[in-house]
Amino acid sequence: MTAATFQWLTLVALTALTFGLAETGVSGSAVLIPVLLATLVKGRIVIDRFMALQGVSGAWRWVVLGWLLLVLGLIAVAFQHTQN
Amino acid sequence: MKYKSQAVAKPYFIAAIALFLGQILFGLIMGLQYVVGDFLFPAIPFNVARMVHTNLLIVWLLFGFMGAAYYLIPEESERELHSTKLALVMFWIFLAAGVATILGYLLVPYATLAEMTGNNLLATMGREFLEQPLPTKVGIVVVALAMLYNLSITVLRGRKTAINLVMLVGLWGLAIFFLFSFYNPSNLVKDKYFWWWTVHLWVEGVWELIMGAMLAFVLIKVTGVDREVIEKWLYVIIAMALITGIIGTGHHYYWIGAPEYWQWWGSVFSALEPIPFFMMTVFAFNMVNRRRREHPNKAAVLWALGTGVMAFLGAGVWGFLHTLAPINFYTHGTQITAAHGHMAFYGAYVMVVITMISYTMPLMRGREANSPFAQVIEMWSFWLMTISMVFITLFLTAAGILQIWLQRIAEEPISFMAAQDQVALFYWMREAAGVIFLIGLLLYIASFFIKGKAATAVAT
Amino acid sequence: MDIVLNVSISLPAPHGNRRNLPGDLAMWFFILAELLVFGIFFLAYAFARTRNVELFNASQLELNKLSGAINTVLLISGSYFVVRAVDRIRHGQSRLCAHWLIAAMACGGAFLILKLVEFGTKIEAGISMSTNLFFMFYLGLGFFHFMHVVLGMVILGAVALKAWRGGYHANDYAGVETGAAYWHMVDLVWIVLFPLIYILN
Repeated sequence: MTAATFQWLTLVALTALTFGLAETGVSGSAVLIPVLLATLVKGRIVIDRFMALQGVSGAWRWVVLGWLLLVLGLIAVAFQHTQN
Repeated sequence: MKYKSQAVAKPYFIAAIALFLGQILFGLIMGLQYVVGDFLFPAIPFNVARMVHTNLLIVWLLFGFMGAAYYLIPEESERELHSTKLALVMFWIFLAAGVATILGYLLVPYATLAEMTGNNLLATMGREFLEQPLPTKVGIVVVALAMLYNLSITVLRGRKTAINLVMLVGLWGLAIFFLFSFYNPSNLVKDKYFWWWTVHLWVEGVWELIMGAMLAFVLIKVTGVDREVIEKWLYVIIAMALITGIIGTGHHYYWIGAPEYWQWWGSVFSALEPIPFFMMTVFAFNMVNRRRREHPNKAAVLWALGTGVMAFLGAGVWGFLHTLAPINFYTHGTQITAAHGHMAFYGAYVMVVITMISYTMPLMRGREANSPFAQVIEMWSFWLMTISMVFITLFLTAAGILQIWLQRIAEEPISFMAAQDQVALFYWMREAAGVIFLIGLLLYIASFFIKGKAATAVAT
Repeated sequence: MDIVLNVSISLPAPHGNRRNLPGDLAMWFFILAELLVFGIFFLAYAFARTRNVELFNASQLELNKLSGAINTVLLISGSYFVVRAVDRIRHGQSRLCAHWLIAAMACGGAFLILKLVEFGTKIEAGISMSTNLFFMFYLGLGFFHFMHVVLGMVILGAVALKAWRGGYHANDYAGVETGAAYWHMVDLVWIVLFPLIYILN
């Protein structure tokens, strides 16, 4: 099995996990944190492996990863904020 | 100049500059009417002066774009223009139609003009910027189609480059979106909604393609940087311009009765409209810094750099200032819009047309560049016009902020006309800056008549 | 699109063990701009929600989560197939490259069909962008992303056609990488969009 196939299966598994969590009906931090973490891992796989930005010269990898971190981080802030 | 037929651009450019002068004179008349309400009344009422000022702007920019296209497309396609004669005939038709229309505005009351020109057959008149009588509108379509036929055949049979394709797509878009000027629904919301499809999709859409192509063409010529590099920039810039510009139309839909979601879509996309303009600035400076030759036409290089900076400031920064819906709620329809309009049109479209004229005119007159003295005068005109335009913009912005405060925010808001009285000082200062602009323009025109030995290239 | 893809940069010699950016530099600038637009919209959604939590939670229940999850798997798989396509062209196997690209386009096509069904049921239920703020984001962002899938498929189609005709080689395949980068971006954006709009409450 190639590395790409393994990454693909990981992505599918994480999607299933996200979907399963939503189906259990839990809400709040119990779903927010694992879902955002799963999304972070998925995004990182796409950026570093599929887009092949890992090891690319220049700031490209960090610009795109930074986008992911910033967006997910601020989403976490916005959602956490409403739970208080 | 590589091909004889490129010289057909010359009459277009001369007409453009002549009409530019007319536009500025009417601008000064109108600027004075802001503070001296009955100046030249009843001969030239304010609404007529305004119509002439804006219509002349559009017509002379169109002359500039057409001239630029007739010069640029043969050179890029590496062949003579399909028909020089057709281009010349269209020039005279367009000039006659343009002059007749302006005379119509000035000599006949607008309602009479509408009656005389068949507005009762198909009502298209009376809308801002699209005031032209029906025959003029039809004339514009005929001239544009003849030009597009002429240019498209030239490109199809010749070399296809990023520059001539982008230019051609821009011109086709210009013609297609003008067709919405014939659609005049009686529902006021729909009327405004589609009116913007001409007005916005011209200046914040397809005109940016024309501008990008013209700027890229001149930069290749004056810097000697690889075509591949310049074309790549051009593609990225126009892709960004189209994505942000097309959906950015929504920033005109906030308060006219269109669905509320436009406040989100208009805000987000138009907030990104400065990006392509910023990229154009970076592009121009980057290319000039990487230049492989010292072009003797320093004035053209100055205009090209100026276009990048002023387009970003006028269209980008001054547009962003009031594009977000919560801010636009207070600013729409005030002097802030006028401030933005002045610097955006000057920085983006006036300057890019002059860049093109500045680069091509010496070539069409048989030399690579004008004499050093003529160039010095031209560069003086650059600084006079550009700086006075910055001041016009600043004064109008100040007037706008004060107007918004007095009219819309203050504890006891005052009426529109009462607020206008309060900001009169800024209108006087704007008028003074306008006089400096006129002096700059006269110097610019004078620079064409200065003789002397042509400047020559310096090897690096 | 062919025009865009033809603008490939000449690759300078790599320095150290750092690789060069895969595909065309211009495409990467375009991708950054796209990410910026989507990013602003995601945050607009997240912060608009803070002031309308109940409305968002209630409206979200009307979405078809399963359809969203299947669409995620479709885009992820499409992205994976594109990775395989790039791998094949590195070995000079043009036809296999084209096959993988067509498989990716099939995933994109299935995504579009599911998405249309989703939109169709919403429109039948009388829901539009004017219904409320949540559906403005759901329909608006969904449609905007939908158009990106369409554009991505056009790009992949152009690349597949050129690959099929033998237009790329083992040492000259920047065009494939350029198209791949755009397709991965479309996937990446959906990976964030799906949990944000369908799942998180």
